[in-house]
Amino acid sequence: MTTEADISDGQGRGETLPVFRAVDLRKIYEVGETQVHALRGVDLEIGRGEVLVLLGPSGSGKSTLLNIVGALDRPTSGQLWHEDTELTGLSDRALTRFRRAHVGFIFQFYNLIPSLTAEENVRLVTDIADDPLPAEEALEMVGLGHRRGHFPAQLSGGEQQRVAVARAIAKRPRVLFCDEPTGALDSSTGIKVLETLAKANEEFGATLIIITHNAGIAAMADRVFNFLDGRIASIDVNSERRPPSEISW
Amino acid sequence: MKAIDLKLLRDLWRMRGQALAIAAVIAAAAATFILSVGVHESLSETREIYYERNHFAEVFAGMTRAPRTVVERVEDIEGVRQAEGRIIQFVTLEMEGRVEPIRGVINSVEDGGASDLNQMILTEGRGPGLEEAGEVVVDRSFAEANDLHPGDEIDALIYGTRQTLEIVGIGLSPDYIWAIAPGDLIPDESRYGIFWMGRRALEAATDRTEAINSLSLTLDHGASEAEVIRQLDIILAPYGSTGAYGREDHLSHAFLDNELMQLDAMTRIIPPVFLLVSTFLVYIVLGRMIRTEREQIGLLKAFGYTSRAIAWHYLKFAFAIAALGIVLGAIVGIWMGRNMTELYAEYYRFPFLVYQLSPETFASAAALALASAGLGAIGGVRTAIELTPAIAMAPPPPAVYRAGTVERLSNLAGFTSIGHMIVRHISRWPGRSSMTVVGVSLSLGLLFSTMSFIDSSSSMLETNFFRAQRQDVSVTFIEPRNEDVLYDLGRIPGVLRVEATRAASARLRHGPLSERVAIESADDEGTLWARIDSAEQEVPLPPAGLMLSRRLADKLGARTGDRIEVSMLEGRRSVSVVPIAATIDELVGSRAYASSATLAQLTRDRAPVGSALLRIDTNQRDAILAELQEMPIVLGVTERNAALVKFEEMIDDNIITMIGFYVAFASAIAIGVVYNSARIVFSERARELATLRVLGYHESEVALVLLGELALLIAIAVPIGCFAGYWLAQLMTAMFSSDLFRLPFAPTRATYGFSILVILAASALTAMIVARRVMRLDMVRVLKARD
Ligand SMILES: Nc1ncnc2c1ncn2[C@@H]1O[C@H](COP(=O)(O)OP(=O)(O)O)[C@@H](O)[C@H]1O
Ligand SMILES: [Mg+2]
Repeated sequence: MTTEADISDGQGRGETLPVFRAVDLRKIYEVGETQVHALRGVDLEIGRGEVLVLLGPSGSGKSTLLNIVGALDRPTSGQLWHEDTELTGLSDRALTRFRRAHVGFIFQFYNLIPSLTAEENVRLVTDIADDPLPAEEALEMVGLGHRRGHFPAQLSGGEQQRVAVARAIAKRPRVLFCDEPTGALDSSTGIKVLETLAKANEEFGATLIIITHNAGIAAMADRVFNFLDGRIASIDVNSERRPPSEISW
Repeated sequence: MKAIDLKLLRDLWRMRGQALAIAAVIAAAAATFILSVGVHESLSETREIYYERNHFAEVFAGMTRAPRTVVERVEDIEGVRQAEGRIIQFVTLEMEGRVEPIRGVINSVEDGGASDLNQMILTEGRGPGLEEAGEVVVDRSFAEANDLHPGDEIDALIYGTRQTLEIVGIGLSPDYIWAIAPGDLIPDESRYGIFWMGRRALEAATDRTEAINSLSLTLDHGASEAEVIRQLDIILAPYGSTGAYGREDHLSHAFLDNELMQLDAMTRIIPPVFLLVSTFLVYIVLGRMIRTEREQIGLLKAFGYTSRAIAWHYLKFAFAIAALGIVLGAIVGIWMGRNMTELYAEYYRFPFLVYQLSPETFASAAALALASAGLGAIGGVRTAIELTPAIAMAPPPPAVYRAGTVERLSNLAGFTSIGHMIVRHISRWPGRSSMTVVGVSLSLGLLFSTMSFIDSSSSMLETNFFRAQRQDVSVTFIEPRNEDVLYDLGRIPGVLRVEATRAASARLRHGPLSERVAIESADDEGTLWARIDSAEQEVPLPPAGLMLSRRLADKLGARTGDRIEVSMLEGRRSVSVVPIAATIDELVGSRAYASSATLAQLTRDRAPVGSALLRIDTNQRDAILAELQEMPIVLGVTERNAALVKFEEMIDDNIITMIGFYVAFASAIAIGVVYNSARIVFSERARELATLRVLGYHESEVALVLLGELALLIAIAVPIGCFAGYWLAQLMTAMFSSDLFRLPFAPTRATYGFSILVILAASALTAMIVARRVMRLDMVRVLKARD
């Protein structure tokens, strides 16, 4: 493991064109009279099929960055490209189209729709995607094919999160954004979830961007961004990715 | 089905109580709309068709006697398409076993009942022969009320001669859709019949060979009615014409118009109240739903659902509720429409009258319901659209409670901590709290105003008619008599007091404006007839000059002190200029009054008695009535009490149903509003309430948090509702006023009390139902669940 501050040549696994490229992203939240500087100038490049882990203390701006790169939010200043499209220049409609076509999200608290069954939660996404996996198949991939008729309230936390993963991968996304996907899970369920994420990375070549508190998870990444106070303080490059099953929790 | 639509269905099912409560309010809007517009349409279209098919005339004139040849002269007036002369004769009827006065009006027809205008329809039997003495067709309502059939006979006193009428058929005609005996206050189909008799037979019976006393005519397209009336008055003046008039002054037509106008007013007031409340309800319920689904909305957006798709999703929720409301409302509305139309079919004499809901009316009701639900949804939907996917992912910030004025008040009141919770929650959600207050007040207001409508009607009839008319019996004469007739009447045993009154037709002119009226007068020392103004004060007749009702003065553009031209249409047909000595603000009609001396000067005849008012010893009623009917000069006898009885019957027949409807509809609002607020308060506070339980509060104490908040809001709503009701009732009485009459505004304390009780009961019951949920609150589940 080497530690480098130079990010300009961080090209992941040797892909030529980066999937995402950002220059000087800043985000300022206005809270009443005061301003919260959540991002204080972030530059990055993310390669195709790369597995990226964002580490850092709570409040250091990880989620803010993820939301911006995932086109859920806009930066206060700076530029962001997806391939050769400048996302920061797009309308809300175009951003929605972008998310619809290419992006999957997984959140700490699963965020399943309580009134829909596991399968229907997945169909929520397959209904609007171009070339989705069948909902059933996506659930099989996360090992929940037999629970597809169950409502979220009838599933454990880990199972709910796996449904969320199935939902995220069902559209065969190019990028999967995961904000503390295992934050609410114990180690063995957490590993199961991470395994399904790794599988999506291998099978569809989806780029994985994972926020976590858990330094052990960094082992499955190509690169690790260490956040501090709204900036990427340092980047660790792993010479080798470990499968989730070998992660020490 | 799309997954997002499944969510919609499941949300609807989960919130079925709330959805149903809103749907009930929308149903009330749709039902009242479909009822009033549908009945209006059925009534006006049926009338139009009836008029068209049976050639209802457009201009009418009555006269003492004119040669039949006058019809041809009238037809030569420019703009007159067709004219027809008739004899219309009022008669007194004698029926076995009936002592009370029964009257009729006989219309002349050609052979077999034919006529060019105002054509009679036979529903049974045949028409009368042209010359067959005594053969008549009788109107269906009178026949039904008195169980008369073709072949039956009735004795009649026609023009002072007793004659037996033989019923050969049963029918009706468009000029008597609504009919009331002259001098009567309330139509009574069992005591007043319409008859048709062959022209020659009626000419013979009334001594009017080749003469007529009534004219009807239709006009060419674009002809000026006013001009035709002017020329008609000139031609008919020598024949004792009482002045020609158009449809708007034709009694039957005007009454129906009045009814239609009232239905229209009802459409404009009642459905909007319901729609407004349903908008409120959708607003608060959907607003709350969208607040709790922030994360789900954010998630959908994160996955690429467009704002439009999400907006449509929640709009569909509102529209689904509206659709349910429309279906329920249509069912109830059509059912009520049928019943109301049946009621109308009893009061109005139509050959057929069926309630028919046109697709347009249904579509309008549906559009209104969808629009108000959609309007209510806009606020919430806009929040949903504005949520950026990122912000939606973060849980909503905890509600901010501030120590505001309301709270300082509660400190003063020394509330317990539960009291504080209640007051804080109300001030935390001022918008929703005020909508709850507004909704409950509106339900109270609506109930009060509809109920006070009953007060107004009875006040108008009981106070204004019965206080104004104090006689037991009034007697009208075939033509005005001199004072001797009063002595004749006074000699009948049991007659305690006799007073003369008179009404003489005249046309009043002020500048370019003119109106045809009857100038009414009475004995100077008379006590049996009073003029009551809208403030319920008795107003004496002016010693000189005329007194006009405010409405008539307005129509003439005249004020007290102005001089107007009075052309008498009877007696010597004098024309004079008379000052307006006073105006009187009256509820009924456009009337003119003068002292008997003034009227005698105007008519210049020696027959000051048009009718007589009698006070009688009620023990001798039967004998007196019998004797009166024996008198050849008597045209008709009216009993005041009969009208009162008939009116009370009419009220009694319908009042329970009417109150039932009013209560049901107003309660729908109260229930809808209280249920939805309670459910929302409950869901907002579930966590707090569960915490209280964990801390050791009893179920009932916890329920108090919820009930207390509702009770406080309802308590605030009651006085506001009383004001709203007062105002709504005033608006309604104003909108229900017409040329014929104005309703007094006469709310009673009992109505306030009743309305408040009904709304309190409906609210309390609803709140209790929700409070039972609080009792069954599952502490553990609530505390674990992320809101
Ligand atoms: N919607 C918001 N409004 C105001 N401040 C925010 C908002 N979202 C995040 N922040 C602030 O921005 C900073 C970074 O937050 P976040 O990106 O969520 O951190 P992390 O995910 O690393 O814990 C924090 O100080 C947080 O309080
Ligand atoms: Mg975070």
